[in-house]
Amino acid sequence: MPQTSTAKPGDGHSKGLFQNTAGFSTLITVTVLSLAWLAGFASRLFAVIRFESIIHEFDPWFNYRSTAYMVQHGFYNFLNWFDERAWYPLGRIVGGTVYPGLMITSGTIHWILHALNIPIHIRDICVFLAPVFSGLTAIATYLLTSELWSRGAGLFAACFIAIVPGYSSRSVAGSYDNEGIAIFALQFTYYLWLKSLKNGSVFWSICTALSYFYMVSAWGGYVFIINLIPLHVFLLLIMGRFSQRLFVSYSVFYIVGLLLSMQIPFVGFQPIRTSEHMAASGVFALLMAIGALKYLHSLNPKGQWKQLLILGGLIAAGTVFLAVVLLTYMGVIAPWSGRFYSLWDTTYAKIHIPIIASVSEHQPTTWSSFFFDLHVLVCTFPVGLWYCIKNVNDERVFVALYALSAVYFAGVMVRLMLTLTPVVCVLAGIAFSILLDLVLKEDEIPAPQVETEESKSLYDKAGKLKKRTHEPSQPLDAGLGMNVRSVTLILFMILLMLFCVHCTWATSNAYSSPSIVLASYGNDGSRKILDDFREAYGWLSQNTAEDARVMSWWDYGYQIAGMGNRTTLVDNNTWNNSHIALVGKAMASNETAAYEIMTMLDVDYVLVIFGGAIGYSGDDINKFIWMVRIAEGEHPKDIHEADYFTERGEYRVDSEASKTMLNCLMYKLSYYRYDSGGSPPGYDRTRGALPGNRGFKLTYLEEAYTTEHWLVRIYRVKKPDEFNRPRLPLAKRTVPTSNSISKKLALGGGPTTSKRRKGMMKNKPNIVKGKKAVKLE
Amino acid sequence: MSKIKMLPAMDKLRFSFIFLLFIVIKCESVNVDTVSSDIRFKNVDRTIDISSQLVKITSKLTLENTGGTPVKNFLLAVEQFAKNNVAFVGAKDSSGKDLRLVETTVKGHDQVRFWRVDLKDAVNAGSTAIVTVETVLTKALQPYPTAITQQEDQLVKYNGNLYTYSPYLVASQKTNVIINTKSVESFSKVKPFTQQDGAIQYGPYPNTKPFSEKELVIHYRNNSPFLTVTRVERLIEVSHWGNIAVEEVIEIEHSGARLKGPFSRYDYQQDHHSGPASVRSYKTLLPASASDVYYRDTNGNISTSNMKVKKDSVELDLRPRYPLFGGWRTHYTLGYNVPSYEYLYHTGNDYLLKMRIIDHIYDDMQVDELVTKIILPEGSTSVKANLPYAVTRLPDSLHFTYLDTKGRPVISFTKKNVVENHIQDFQLRYTFPRLLMLQEPLLVVGFLYALFLCVIIYVRLDFSIHKAEHHHKD
Amino acid sequence: MSLEIESMIRYTSPINPAVFPHLTILLLGIGIFFTAWFFVYEVTSTKLSRDLFKELTLSLVAALFSGFGILFLLLWVGIYV
Repeated sequence: MPQTSTAKPGDGHSKGLFQNTAGFSTLITVTVLSLAWLAGFASRLFAVIRFESIIHEFDPWFNYRSTAYMVQHGFYNFLNWFDERAWYPLGRIVGGTVYPGLMITSGTIHWILHALNIPIHIRDICVFLAPVFSGLTAIATYLLTSELWSRGAGLFAACFIAIVPGYSSRSVAGSYDNEGIAIFALQFTYYLWLKSLKNGSVFWSICTALSYFYMVSAWGGYVFIINLIPLHVFLLLIMGRFSQRLFVSYSVFYIVGLLLSMQIPFVGFQPIRTSEHMAASGVFALLMAIGALKYLHSLNPKGQWKQLLILGGLIAAGTVFLAVVLLTYMGVIAPWSGRFYSLWDTTYAKIHIPIIASVSEHQPTTWSSFFFDLHVLVCTFPVGLWYCIKNVNDERVFVALYALSAVYFAGVMVRLMLTLTPVVCVLAGIAFSILLDLVLKEDEIPAPQVETEESKSLYDKAGKLKKRTHEPSQPLDAGLGMNVRSVTLILFMILLMLFCVHCTWATSNAYSSPSIVLASYGNDGSRKILDDFREAYGWLSQNTAEDARVMSWWDYGYQIAGMGNRTTLVDNNTWNNSHIALVGKAMASNETAAYEIMTMLDVDYVLVIFGGAIGYSGDDINKFIWMVRIAEGEHPKDIHEADYFTERGEYRVDSEASKTMLNCLMYKLSYYRYDSGGSPPGYDRTRGALPGNRGFKLTYLEEAYTTEHWLVRIYRVKKPDEFNRPRLPLAKRTVPTSNSISKKLALGGGPTTSKRRKGMMKNKPNIVKGKKAVKLE
Repeated sequence: MSKIKMLPAMDKLRFSFIFLLFIVIKCESVNVDTVSSDIRFKNVDRTIDISSQLVKITSKLTLENTGGTPVKNFLLAVEQFAKNNVAFVGAKDSSGKDLRLVETTVKGHDQVRFWRVDLKDAVNAGSTAIVTVETVLTKALQPYPTAITQQEDQLVKYNGNLYTYSPYLVASQKTNVIINTKSVESFSKVKPFTQQDGAIQYGPYPNTKPFSEKELVIHYRNNSPFLTVTRVERLIEVSHWGNIAVEEVIEIEHSGARLKGPFSRYDYQQDHHSGPASVRSYKTLLPASASDVYYRDTNGNISTSNMKVKKDSVELDLRPRYPLFGGWRTHYTLGYNVPSYEYLYHTGNDYLLKMRIIDHIYDDMQVDELVTKIILPEGSTSVKANLPYAVTRLPDSLHFTYLDTKGRPVISFTKKNVVENHIQDFQLRYTFPRLLMLQEPLLVVGFLYALFLCVIIYVRLDFSIHKAEHHHKD
Repeated sequence: MSLEIESMIRYTSPINPAVFPHLTILLLGIGIFFTAWFFVYEVTSTKLSRDLFKELTLSLVAALFSGFGILFLLLWVGIYV
């Protein structure tokens, strides 16, 4: 960051000093941008330096695995890849259910490097992709902000986005996820859109569409673009800012972008079949109608066209709206998906889709996390917004819309903080730029003169900008004394410095943990690595049969597939709710019932995460209540959430816990022969309790492996000939029938009652970015 | 590593021996020998060490020439049941010098493996000579029972020959079996024998006939690590910038009694004697000059290892991610750098690389398959390899890495069933024009210069296009 | 042939590996300086004041130093080319 503060004044000085100002400002721009790139890259390397070059968390492991597959087998095989290692026995058509942009990007880099005989492993490319792209994002943000305001503001914005925690949280080294490249694509698409809107040129519109295509291939968040741009167009129409430029750029962008976006197998026909995309088509139709009316107007400019135009526009809008509603009603267009609904109605997910609600990053954002992720920017961006609205033009309408919608979305979900961050950086950059303009102006005595020259050399439309900068500056300028200026300047420098310190601190402490390698610190500051996850996955990959099926909660699906290379039942691509519910049911049932489910699903091993020995709070017992809830959603007859709580409604594991809780599979697998962990023996450090059910034996499973710190426990499901069934009294020896019905239905995905279906997602697979489930404590 | 101070004379001798051996081995397949009736073994003193996972048989043979003509060579034989287990056979004369060994065949004994030992000095009629023969067998110890639970000791069974297997008459022989444990379940009791702590002595037995066999079975406790390296790929990359990088990709399996039933972490943590047959860690010795050691697998760095720098070696205490029980496997990559002056010699443009074919992995190791690859600098020509024992040479290939244009030559060979006795040096000579070392930096320079030229051209192009306008774009 | 090992001498790198870091910093420093000079010259000079010979010389010096600097950087970090 310091380079920004120094660069900006330098920018100003150099212009006065040298003849070739364009050359020098280019040089400074390039220098600042490359330094921003470097700073952004370096600040994202904490995890690599502290641990090693490794893929982080959950989803990145899937992305890495598919990328490795693509590199090994080629692009077409990747598109046709049917992954039989996931969602046993269903499998997953990977090529048709991913956004392939990420894999193609790193695959291309890998291909180029290897063509140049640079034998870098694909893993390292994946690890460092997001930090590298953060530099590109900075450049795209610079371009966007320069388009909106000035190059100085652009430099500020670029430096902000390079290090702001809200963005680096998703793009540290090793966090190999779609967002890493998608934010770049987002910013770049917006930049190109503004460019095309400004010029009304087909060339820039097609560039916008291409960039949009890249975004579609990279991230599901492309829906944000395809709704925001039409909204922008719609607002411009309402504001009476229709122009040929708008007409050309939007229609070209819409048509080309639509066709291109349908080329992605995962998106397919959604752009013309789902409600999420209808705003774009509606606005397109409206724009066409208004264009036609305008054309008619131009044929006969004398008549009563003004009223007719407005009336015609209103009618056209109404028709389009009615058509969409009608088509939705008829079922041609799919209604809003559940995930989209949850954006409008924040309680929707909690009631209907527990699986979405169970993910911590889908929770509403707290105020503190706004400050944590954006620091000083969150206070300054309204200033930029105010200036943008005050000096409004076509582009600034856009940024205002962008800011308002992003603020709303960020408030709904923690995860969407990511879409807010870029626009906050842009607007804060504008605010800081204005401020410095004010504070540093006094040095130049013929202020208006220089200003004009400067603007001329910088902008396409110098006249318009000149007007803008003069109006606010002159009255304020007069009021500011020398001391006020310097004090303000120093204050803001301090603020920026604090911002830098905070960004580095937040990135380093909050966002740079690989989460598959844990570190604990002793009293003397020594560091101890807890490598239990890799220990367990390594054991799985080496010491189980090649086709062994591992049952675990879905959080660990991608990791088991990626590191353990074994078949999983459910994974982080939570597309099949009933399958997940079945696993949840197995975990929540007693051993006998669970064994039936497990035999039905051909489970060979069961993997649970147990943090009690080391006090790791993200373990399965803490997530267990969500398993129960999801299982109850599909099997309301067998699983009841209330059974797992004590009578007073507490969730506990000690001797006061409910009987169902103490006898369910998850409980038993977690605490089986757990007697270490300090004093008293068997004490659970995570929940601070002594387990209520101890010393029990397992009938249907046996411990296959437990890692050094008990974090991962793997059990082998015994074959029917390997155990003695518990003796049943003669009277009870009947064939139970009630269970088998619900099982069959769940497995085959057959018809269930409408009440049950309510919570289910549509047939199309939905990717839910799952990280950790909510902790209860 | 200890070779640094080796006397040149020793080196010379060793090399000439190796080279001769190599030439002889190359034409081994045509060897046919006959059993001479002039030879008999006056005395055989045999030690069978079965305290580790290997069977190491050391026999001190007193050879007597009963015929009339001097004897220049004699034959060694290995029983039919053990012939596929033989990993190494070596012979030394009384002064400790290595003798030349050639594998051969004898008509009428197709099922028996023979080696012909060429003596340094012929044994004259009526006189004797003492030869020490060392044989190492792998996989000759069978775990019995084949599966044990976590807490049980590992019992193994050794099936051998009570008598020295020889094509000649043995006048007198003694066998000492070292088992290093007192807990012996059972053993063959052929008198005379004595059992002392950790060892069983058989004999002396007088006048055993040629090719005589009598079953020797010892069933005893053996908790020493039963680890088999199923495959090791050793990659040696030579750089003329003063470095030799070594990387070994190793797959290891615990080949002892399989683990039966569950693995309990609780029991394993309770006392450290739990899992007596399991392997928690083992020591690997690297050359003393090794640096930048890394130990990782496909999932990343394995953080559980310690490195101790000793005077004549670097000792690595490698702990796999999980303890190895019977039947469990693991794999890892171990790499390090050594400076070139330790192993690379030159005169002018002729270079000679002298390195170990395989290095120490753990004590008493057994390796099923070894692949050694040597990557020479780009532009090396006329490569010649001298190997100390017979290996299968694989076709040469090319390797592409940083700043390569036409690829680096790769020499590779493979060998099955390797033990510690195979840790010997190979020699590889090649020609490399020194000026070629400049090729790599000049490649970078050329590339950068091309970039600069592009900029120079671009700047001109740019202004010619926007001539009409002011320079507001750049 | 087998006797030759005596007459051979141990091979050491033409440049002592201990000085790789220093060489890297020195050469890359000079290289970056000239690169910067080159670029500054490119953007500050106008069409009229530009001298092709100076450009070529500057870029050649920059490429030479940076090239060798990069080589030693690679050697320093352990990529023995």
